[in-house]
Amino acid sequence: MKKLVYIFLISFSINALAQEVVELPMESNKVVVKLAFKNGSVTDPVGKEGLTNLTAALLSESGSDTYTKSEIDNLLYPMAASYGTFTDKEMTTITFQVHKDFADQFYEIIRSVLLHPSFAEQDFERVKSNTLVNITEVIKASSDEEFSKMALEEQLYAGTRYAHMKVGTADGIKAITRDDVVNQYKAYFTRNNVIIGIAGNYSQDFLSKIKTDINSLPDTQPDIPVVETPAMPDGIQVELVPKPNNLGTAIYTGYPLAINRASEDWAAMMVVNSYLGEHRKSYSKLYQLIREQRSMNYGDYTYIEWYQSGGSNQLPLTGFPRSQNYFAIWIRPVQTAYSLKSQYSELKDIETGQAQFALRMALNEIERVKNEGLTQEEFELTRQFLRSYTKLYIQTPDKQLGFLLDSKFYGLNNYISELDIALSKLTLAEVNAAAAKYLQTDNMYVTMITDKGEAEALKNSLLTNKVSPMSYSNVVRESLPEEVFNLDEEVEGLRINIKNVKVIPPEDLFID
Amino acid sequence: MKYKIIVITLCVFIAISCSPTKEEEQGVFPYEIHQAKLENGLNVVTVPYNSPGLASFYIVVRAGSRNEIEPGKTGFAHFFEHMMFRGTEKYSKEQYSEALKAIGAAANANTWWDRTVYHMTGNAGMLDKMFELESDRFMNLKYSEADFKVEAGAVKGEYTKNYSSPYMKLYEKTYNTAFTEHTYSHTTIGFWEDVVDMPNQYEYSLEFFNRFYRPEYCTIIVVGDVTPDKVDALAKEYFGSWEHGSYTQEIPKEPEQTETRYAHVQEKNFPPVLGLNYKDPAFSVENKDMAVLDVIGSIAFSEKSPIYKKLVVDERKVRQLDAGGLDMVDPGLWSVDAVLVNPDDMTEIKNEIEGVLEKLKTEPVDSADLAQAISHIKYNYAMDIDSPDAIANSLSWYTWLTGDPASVNKAYARYDNITPEDVMDVAKRYFVPQHLTVSTISADEEYVEPETLKTDM
Repeated sequence: MKKLVYIFLISFSINALAQEVVELPMESNKVVVKLAFKNGSVTDPVGKEGLTNLTAALLSESGSDTYTKSEIDNLLYPMAASYGTFTDKEMTTITFQVHKDFADQFYEIIRSVLLHPSFAEQDFERVKSNTLVNITEVIKASSDEEFSKMALEEQLYAGTRYAHMKVGTADGIKAITRDDVVNQYKAYFTRNNVIIGIAGNYSQDFLSKIKTDINSLPDTQPDIPVVETPAMPDGIQVELVPKPNNLGTAIYTGYPLAINRASEDWAAMMVVNSYLGEHRKSYSKLYQLIREQRSMNYGDYTYIEWYQSGGSNQLPLTGFPRSQNYFAIWIRPVQTAYSLKSQYSELKDIETGQAQFALRMALNEIERVKNEGLTQEEFELTRQFLRSYTKLYIQTPDKQLGFLLDSKFYGLNNYISELDIALSKLTLAEVNAAAAKYLQTDNMYVTMITDKGEAEALKNSLLTNKVSPMSYSNVVRESLPEEVFNLDEEVEGLRINIKNVKVIPPEDLFID
Repeated sequence: MKYKIIVITLCVFIAISCSPTKEEEQGVFPYEIHQAKLENGLNVVTVPYNSPGLASFYIVVRAGSRNEIEPGKTGFAHFFEHMMFRGTEKYSKEQYSEALKAIGAAANANTWWDRTVYHMTGNAGMLDKMFELESDRFMNLKYSEADFKVEAGAVKGEYTKNYSSPYMKLYEKTYNTAFTEHTYSHTTIGFWEDVVDMPNQYEYSLEFFNRFYRPEYCTIIVVGDVTPDKVDALAKEYFGSWEHGSYTQEIPKEPEQTETRYAHVQEKNFPPVLGLNYKDPAFSVENKDMAVLDVIGSIAFSEKSPIYKKLVVDERKVRQLDAGGLDMVDPGLWSVDAVLVNPDDMTEIKNEIEGVLEKLKTEPVDSADLAQAISHIKYNYAMDIDSPDAIANSLSWYTWLTGDPASVNKAYARYDNITPEDVMDVAKRYFVPQHLTVSTISADEEYVEPETLKTDM
């Protein structure tokens, strides 16, 4: 894999006009430009949650002083150029990709939007309305998994600027006016908080034009708030969100983790995390215990940083660097009592589904790895995997550029190559020390999107640490080896430190 | 003037993007495609690409949920894809997992209507090992009945996670309504009752493997830092002894639809959704009907279309609007989909959309609009194929659709000669109410179309 040393990936920064520029010239038929602004949902004013995202969205959804949105749509259409914005907690990225044949023609149109956006009233109303319905309805109904992650972050970061979704809260969006958008643009999309990234087949003249234009953005010094570190919860705090006739319970857990990509222990925790729950990989421990051996769901993973749209992406995206992380467990939907009863007569008397058992199984394994660590062999294999796999994060010009820009956020030059060096130097002792230091199962937040019919029973069962035997169907039970049942017996009564369980209807979430 | 610029640029694009030396091979796909057929019928495709140290390895099986013709067996192609990770005589499932982890590749598989695709992207230096692992499971898969029963729970988990979305419920219901005989009547994951029954189908799973996991149903595609000689030699070494099968099947023909059908999902607290789904043609490089429908989707319903500007931008009655159809082996559905602001506008929006479709039958589209739509489709494709994985993925489409990955060039050549008359002709033949299935999501128990407002086309 050493050959994968990105021959075309010549990365360097230029300090011209006091601008930070990341360049990746390469053989390609297109040009990719990313403008990474150091702002995000943390820069939303209190009471106007969602303002930064809405402002960024309007940069791609409204026109400029020269063209209306419709005119821009007409002009860009034959080029098949893409132009979009993505806002996370602490970064907004504007990305455009265009075939080299059209680069100059395209940029002439786009520059007017960047420098002189119209934020037309009707576009403002349209995007605001779509955002609001997304918050109040779509997120809660489209995917229980994504819903559980958003609800978890609202719990975990309560009281900090990280608490609300990047798209905002219902009350926050309702309170935003067009003037707020204009002011947010002037205050937070400035020449002083942006890095220019460019990759592909471009000329220096083309880059010069961008640099000159970016230099003419507002000269304001943006007031970026210091992001508070969230407090460790007292015990395990569970939030149940009931929905009618739900076949599954989607589970997401998290507790604050005091490290990020720039930390000394990061590579060691990458190994621990990959071993326990590498995203969408069948060889990690939780996946094997919960999905492969017990047939409970579609997959089970752990994370030490935010993973965007994990349900649809096998490899990580870029544009969401964060100073605050948490250790997360993602248990994909397990069967509810409502679903199991409808399938198997032998399970007709159960009151709750498999959620409590799944949570116990995951926590039991995390506790084991915290205490026992990895073996030398497991460490070597996981490290070997990661040293190859992380290089696959950057297969396209867009991904290469995105990871470099994220690197800058953490004060790194090139995260992927620096991670590889750190992985190469790791020892088993360092990995197991990190597991012992950062893994724990006593204090965390848990969100479960579940069936309305079992919410109260599940609440009581969790609060009383009631024994939760795994509810196998006969057809699965007769196929399982003895060691599965032996571990089940240990786990079904595992005492977990649940301090509080609240039941919250979906309509009460993401309001303010 | 705008039209001229587009036409000139498009010509430049075609000239630049075609590196093959033989004139007849020129087309939208800019890299050389090498193909070799083993004696057992296995097609081996290699595309050298400048990606130092990196290669993508795909195996396309031309069997998907379309091939599930027996009652009670829906979802089986997809379930079988899961079983392919359950080990062989040589590698137990634990050893297979370890070997896969040691390669450090991005490896996975997915199943759809017409095919199942297994893919790995990783270190080109590991190509030998990739071939070894893949040939072993494709030729010697062996799993216990117990493992088979346990894996079925994972499929149920997949169904459960998908089914929380109203869109997935509507997708399932729309195809089930639009198709009565053809296997497109069930989605790839299968009917819930069949998914629940999967653990009891062990014997059938052996039969399924025997039928389709054969060289004549499969194609290997390798893209990246590789040479055709090396790939061909590895294919011969590892897949040369794979035995040709004998299974053929008759997919049930869908009878002609004779009246408009309705598929509805009741969902409170969700934006109302309206879909107009017309029967469309099977994919063919010889017939440009599907290409014309692609162009219609672009001209009539993209962001630059008058109806988009009216309903989405100006009147703000629709939140999202798009149109298009999937390229499929047999006739499928071509759809216009709208997410509405107000459920009371459902019939009005339906009439607006049908008005646009009706106009396409009688008024020729502007030739500049046509050229721009074709430019959009081709540039979109050209910019997408920028990594070994993206290139292999693209060729996999044409492999399962036609058996020949090089048909990508013929597929895109279909767009070259589309005329305004073609658009009128296709609109007249496909946008007819007797071939329509209306799909809706709303808080109502059912969607009832006011009798007086039904469009008579």
